[in-house]
Amino acid sequence: MIDCDIHPQVGDVEEFLGYVDPGQREWFRSQGPSLGIPGYAWVHPSSWFRADIEQNGHPPASHVDAVRRELLDPSGTEIGILNGDDAVLVSLMPSPYRATALARAHNEWLRERWLAEEPRLRASILCPAQDPRAAAAEIRRMAEDERFVQVLLCGGADRPYGEPRYLPIFEAAAECGLPVAIHSGGEGMGIAAPPGGAGPVTFYIEWHTLGSACSIMSHLVSLVCHGTFERLPGLKVLLIEGGIAWLPGILWRLDTNWRALRSETPWLERKPSEVAREHVRFSTQPLEHTDGRDETLFEMLEAAGAPDNLCFASDYPHWDFDDAGFMLKRLPEAWRDKVLHDNAAELYGERLGLARA
Amino acid sequence: MSWEDVGSVADLERDGHVVARVGGREIGVVAVNGELRGVRNRCPHHGGPLCLGTVRERVAGDPGRYRLGGQSVLRCPWHGWEFDPATGRCLDDDSMRVAVYRAKAEDGRVLVDI
Repeated sequence: MIDCDIHPQVGDVEEFLGYVDPGQREWFRSQGPSLGIPGYAWVHPSSWFRADIEQNGHPPASHVDAVRRELLDPSGTEIGILNGDDAVLVSLMPSPYRATALARAHNEWLRERWLAEEPRLRASILCPAQDPRAAAAEIRRMAEDERFVQVLLCGGADRPYGEPRYLPIFEAAAECGLPVAIHSGGEGMGIAAPPGGAGPVTFYIEWHTLGSACSIMSHLVSLVCHGTFERLPGLKVLLIEGGIAWLPGILWRLDTNWRALRSETPWLERKPSEVAREHVRFSTQPLEHTDGRDETLFEMLEAAGAPDNLCFASDYPHWDFDDAGFMLKRLPEAWRDKVLHDNAAELYGERLGLARA
Repeated sequence: MSWEDVGSVADLERDGHVVARVGGREIGVVAVNGELRGVRNRCPHHGGPLCLGTVRERVAGDPGRYRLGGQSVLRCPWHGWEFDPATGRCLDDDSMRVAVYRAKAEDGRVLVDI
């Protein structure tokens, strides 16, 4: 089983600061535990984390031993991919210079404190999307380490990622043979646009329902419409934690509009849904509850390319995680191997199987 | 097979199309680069009056770049789907095709080969 979304937490801030460029260390230290990463305006009313996870005064999942004990061993995870948690919001920091330093430090911290400690773990390359040239340089630097298997971007953004300003990020990823993961989160924080598309929402439940789904939809539509995949035929994108029940609807809507409005994006010679089917993958978590209508959901998803475009993710240690055993029972039998293993194995390719660098 | 009168050349030149009911179907004629094309006046997508649309050169391009692609299309006035007036093929959906007919002008009249 391959888990595409595990979130390591920074437990010891001072230890983390050791990975930060010395010239910027004092600034980051002065920011406190947030390290200058934009804070959330909408906060879970009790905790972002599962309440059964050991904390001992530190955030959960802040040490590799905890991840082994609580996730990898009991679930039988063969490969788990570490995605920066709050750290993914580096791309929403007002200063691209701080963001570049923090992304670099986070990548080095992952390499030394996590990947070197546990052979089942792989990681995503954090990069500062607000400075695409710096992001591309960081991608190329980290891609030399085969244990980094994808690039990680934040759902929250000032504009959707098909915008040509972001091309250097996708070009660098494609050049290095890495998929780009876009993980929901950060919508409305820092320099990001507000979540939901109708101005700032009121409640965390609204943010969690709309913000993460809408940003992921926006990036999907933007990347397809701008012809990013026509420019970079080898590029694959993994959209994480934005929900998937909406996928057939948005693709049908996009296909309908493409037929009528194609003169705006004449470089799209195939239906947008066909482009998405070839180039875009989705994490299953959080798989929507359907009040007993799972068959309807799965039939709809098949119309949008499932199961070939779905990859299992747990989102450990967050409150809305999906348990692998539970998912195993819920998914149609014919989907299980693909969703829990094969699709991710194909997406990440040889990097998953290579020996330690 | 017979040549049916669907309107005057003067109307075609003024409006860009002529439409007439022939044998229970509406058939129109549009001018495409000086050639006349007969087309059934019913878009297979949604039933719109296709011949009342516009004849355009289809836009082509590479990501971020636009150019005229050299392909003449008849664009439906309702939803903008584009058809090849020579073959009737919908260029935006392979499953759709509209019936097309030979057409000609003769003695000031527009004729369609039904």
